Amino acid sequence: MLKFLGALLVVGAGGAAGLWVAQGYARRPEELRALQGALGLLATEISFALTPLPDALVQVARRADPRVAGLFRDVATLLCNRSGETVEEAWAKALDRFASRSALRDEDIAALAELGAVLGVSDCEDQVRHLALVVERLKVQGLRADEEARKNVRLWRYLGFCAGAAAVLVLC
Amino acid sequence: MHHLAPVPETRETGTGCDILAYLPPGIRDIVACLPASTWEQLEEIRLRVGRPLVVTVREGERFVSPEGVTAVGPSKAYLVTADDVKRMLQIITASSLYALEDELRSGFITLPGGYRVGLAGKVITEGGRVRTIKHIAGLNLRIAREVRGAADAVLPRVIRKPDQVYHTLIASPPRCGKTTLLRDLARQLSNGIPHLGFTGVTVVIVDERSEIAGCYRGIPQCDVGLRTDVLDGCPKVEGMMLALRALSPRVIVTDEIGREEDARALEEILNAGVKVIATAHAFSPEDLVRRPAFTYLFRLRLFERLVLLSRRYGPGTVDRIIDGHKLDLAGG
Repeated sequence: MLKFLGALLVVGAGGAAGLWVAQGYARRPEELRALQGALGLLATEISFALTPLPDALVQVARRADPRVAGLFRDVATLLCNRSGETVEEAWAKALDRFASRSALRDEDIAALAELGAVLGVSDCEDQVRHLALVVERLKVQGLRADEEARKNVRLWRYLGFCAGAAAVLVLC
Repeated sequence: MHHLAPVPETRETGTGCDILAYLPPGIRDIVACLPASTWEQLEEIRLRVGRPLVVTVREGERFVSPEGVTAVGPSKAYLVTADDVKRMLQIITASSLYALEDELRSGFITLPGGYRVGLAGKVITEGGRVRTIKHIAGLNLRIAREVRGAADAVLPRVIRKPDQVYHTLIASPPRCGKTTLLRDLARQLSNGIPHLGFTGVTVVIVDERSEIAGCYRGIPQCDVGLRTDVLDGCPKVEGMMLALRALSPRVIVTDEIGREEDARALEEILNAGVKVIATAHAFSPEDLVRRPAFTYLFRLRLFERLVLLSRRYGPGTVDRIIDGHKLDLAGG
């Protein structure tokens, strides 16, 4: 009985680990898509409404996919504190926090990080150009992430359980 | 001609303390340490990348040391860094330079509280006109001092009971308090002056450079009176016509006239029965006459009063007030 319970635990743990990895693969393209949408909203706020950046970020946070809204809300909050932080610093800080809870890879975060240095410090045209550039990069990375997700999600879902089962067999 | 005593001690509103919020953190601490005597006379704070921090007081420019001492040479002064300018720019633009394209084109940004920041940097032109300023490397924060009562000495000569105003031209060299006087005139004419038996009249300020009323998002940050409308950032000629058509003013107030088209617009307005109070840069009345626009206006005898200011007893000293019919020296 005890042996059976132990075996069940090992299979369960292997399965959970597999599911966790698989979920990472599945979440990344979704987050990348959500970010593209949110940056598109930001570009609209900037170019059409000329909304000041802190307000524009709040608007984006309100309307964007909840998975990425936090990033924009954090930057807005930091900017509204009037602690003398530049957009670059606020963006870097918020992005750091966002990276730790998202499924994004380093290269995705690096593409986003570049925005910090340019947000709010040039004219409309330039802002829109920079945002479009980042959206384009995220799109390319999104396609690659889709491909990886298709290959890996199912693989890892099964692999976890199989590895668990294999371990049980070896141990018995 | 009248010679007048120096302006009486005036009451200034606002100590300028709130300007600290617009300064970058490092410089904020230095400026906060400035002695009270400097604070009282503070007119400008200048930031130029790689060069000493400068404050302008009534007597002139002063370098400021990192400890907030003003009587130092340039070698002991605090050197402004690129980071200081970057941070200040982010604060004054609310990190949204893109939303201030008109302001960049005009070369300055108006802040809440009526402060103005002049910008220096790489100017980008398009078809011979300024499109924007890039790589901003110099900032000049000007502190608008609202001096209530600045117009007290002039008022009795500018109004005719109970609600008539004379066409008035205020002339002086730069930094003699023309705009301060103009602002207080607008405020008092608009509010009414009970002890002179003057009831308030509708005033429109055509504020091309946002200096008179210091508007922030259309709302005057300076007290310009109860019956005053402001056309902020509006070119003078169009603004005066627009005011005439749309706002039915009794008095139009505007800053720095001097071009020929200004003179034509003034002629039209004066003929419409609306009174005008305007200012002009000039070192002397003779100086004015040499300029075609004024020769023309004086020949038409449009201005009924000419007020001359100087800094003889500090900014805002009223040197002379000349009646219009004595302006013959001008007409020729």
